[in-house]
Amino acid sequence: MKKLCSIEWIKTWNYVPFRVIILLHFVLFFLVVLLLSRVQISIPGFSTRSLFSFPHIWETFSWIASWFNLLLAILMIVLAGNEFSYGTYRQQVMNGLSRMELLQGKARVILWIALYAVGLVLISSLIFGLIYTRDLTFGLMIENMQRLLVYFVQTTAYMALALLITLIIRNNAVSILGFIFYFALIEPVLRRFFPREARSYFPVRVISHLTPVPRVLSITADESLMNNAGDNQMDLTVIGIGSPELPQWLSLSLAVVYIVLFIVCSGLVLNKRNL
Amino acid sequence: MEEILCIEQLTKDYGRLRAVDHLDLLVEKGNIFGILGPNGSGKTTTLSVIMGLLPAGSGRFSWFGGLNGSEVNRRIGSLIEIPYFYPYLTLYQNLQLVARIREVDEADITRVLGITNLLIRKHSRFDTLSLGMKQRMGLASVLLGDPEVLVLDEPTNGLDPEGIAEVRKIIMEEGERGKTILLASHILDEVEKVCTHVAVLKMGKLIASGRVEELLGGESLVVVECERCNELREALIREEMVSHTEIRAGMLHLILRAPHTPADLNAFAHKKGFMLSRLEPRKKSLEDQFLELVR
Repeated sequence: MKKLCSIEWIKTWNYVPFRVIILLHFVLFFLVVLLLSRVQISIPGFSTRSLFSFPHIWETFSWIASWFNLLLAILMIVLAGNEFSYGTYRQQVMNGLSRMELLQGKARVILWIALYAVGLVLISSLIFGLIYTRDLTFGLMIENMQRLLVYFVQTTAYMALALLITLIIRNNAVSILGFIFYFALIEPVLRRFFPREARSYFPVRVISHLTPVPRVLSITADESLMNNAGDNQMDLTVIGIGSPELPQWLSLSLAVVYIVLFIVCSGLVLNKRNL
Repeated sequence: MEEILCIEQLTKDYGRLRAVDHLDLLVEKGNIFGILGPNGSGKTTTLSVIMGLLPAGSGRFSWFGGLNGSEVNRRIGSLIEIPYFYPYLTLYQNLQLVARIREVDEADITRVLGITNLLIRKHSRFDTLSLGMKQRMGLASVLLGDPEVLVLDEPTNGLDPEGIAEVRKIIMEEGERGKTILLASHILDEVEKVCTHVAVLKMGKLIASGRVEELLGGESLVVVECERCNELREALIREEMVSHTEIRAGMLHLILRAPHTPADLNAFAHKKGFMLSRLEPRKKSLEDQFLELVR
């Protein structure tokens, strides 16, 4: 294991675009967060300030960070796809690495990136939360902190899907397009062919709904109808347009199942084909 | 002798094209085994299959008498087609990766870079190398960890004559150290000079296999005329340059042992003070023999 880690580390850290994209992700996230914190809206019963205080800040920052999941997924596509264009998967197998070890290496990279992203959300949430919260108590601070875990699962799931698509398509540009098409177009269209209840179980839907628009916002926003996690029956299912929202523990477990599924499929794909 | 590689009825198709057709091969320890054949005869495909890059269509192969799995590849240094490295990493870093995969000490990196004359470019990025240097880098990675088996696919590809000679020298040195070498080439001359055994492929089928002298040496019949015929004959027999001699009508008919050529005979005679008034080789050219086999 340590051997695989050091191998992937040399490959990844020395790849300049990797550092650039991570930096870009970091800067974008921070800029957005900073900008939003400057926006002060106060309506009776709600203010944006509450978004930035504990316990809502965990949810808010996870949600904002999820906007940049695509960037991380693309990073993963590039890292995995490069090895096809360089021919280095072949070389590593010739040198004595098994195909499973190739996959494990990439899985490790996914974990590192996800840990970085979660770390980013954690630290920035702590900083902003401490600044913006009045009447801070420790209990308040750690309430809802499980949102971090949910975000971690979400990021990992997107990257695992990106990895699977790259291993199938084997070309950076086409994989990126394929990934975007899949979650923006193909799956939504596919879902229409299934009964309403089944739609909630499709991978992209499950994963993207892990970090819905924060409930605090949704009281005022139209998305309230779609994202209200079950306790308010005024959702679009009743009206007949959307599909039911799954309880969070179910979404989370399902997402983890999907991660495992993506990785297993990646393994099958890698084993069966010519390198 | 210890069995290094055994291939049984190996077949591999690319769609409708049969690249390898029921190939049988046995390589034993210490062999320098050439796989000879024109372009497209299945050499690279065969090597790719035995290195685990392509799944076999049907048939089997086994290394070291039955071991399987990816760890086997760590005991083998292979270079198939062109060397693939990370262009943005330096030579040293690329070899570090290889060293970690094979679980070899990093100190060996300097040794192999030295052998292939790449030490000065140790910290250059791989993509700044010329084609010949890249090929040598491939050879360096093959030698890393001093593996007991080398599998080389056209290792002199893209090299200048000096490079070709160096590669040949390295291969022969490794052979002398008892390594087993599998060498694919379409250059007959190279195989004849370096290999102990050879298998000839054509369109995926094995058409001949055996020791090099038997298959390719052929008979080098030379007719020589010289004043002190008998003495020359004696000297040649002592020197073990000939496998058969006969004096006929005042002329010395010899069958030279491979790899001696008529030119070697001429040089030898001159060195020993014999003046030849006739030197007439009567043998088939190398190409003719090869083409005959392949036809």
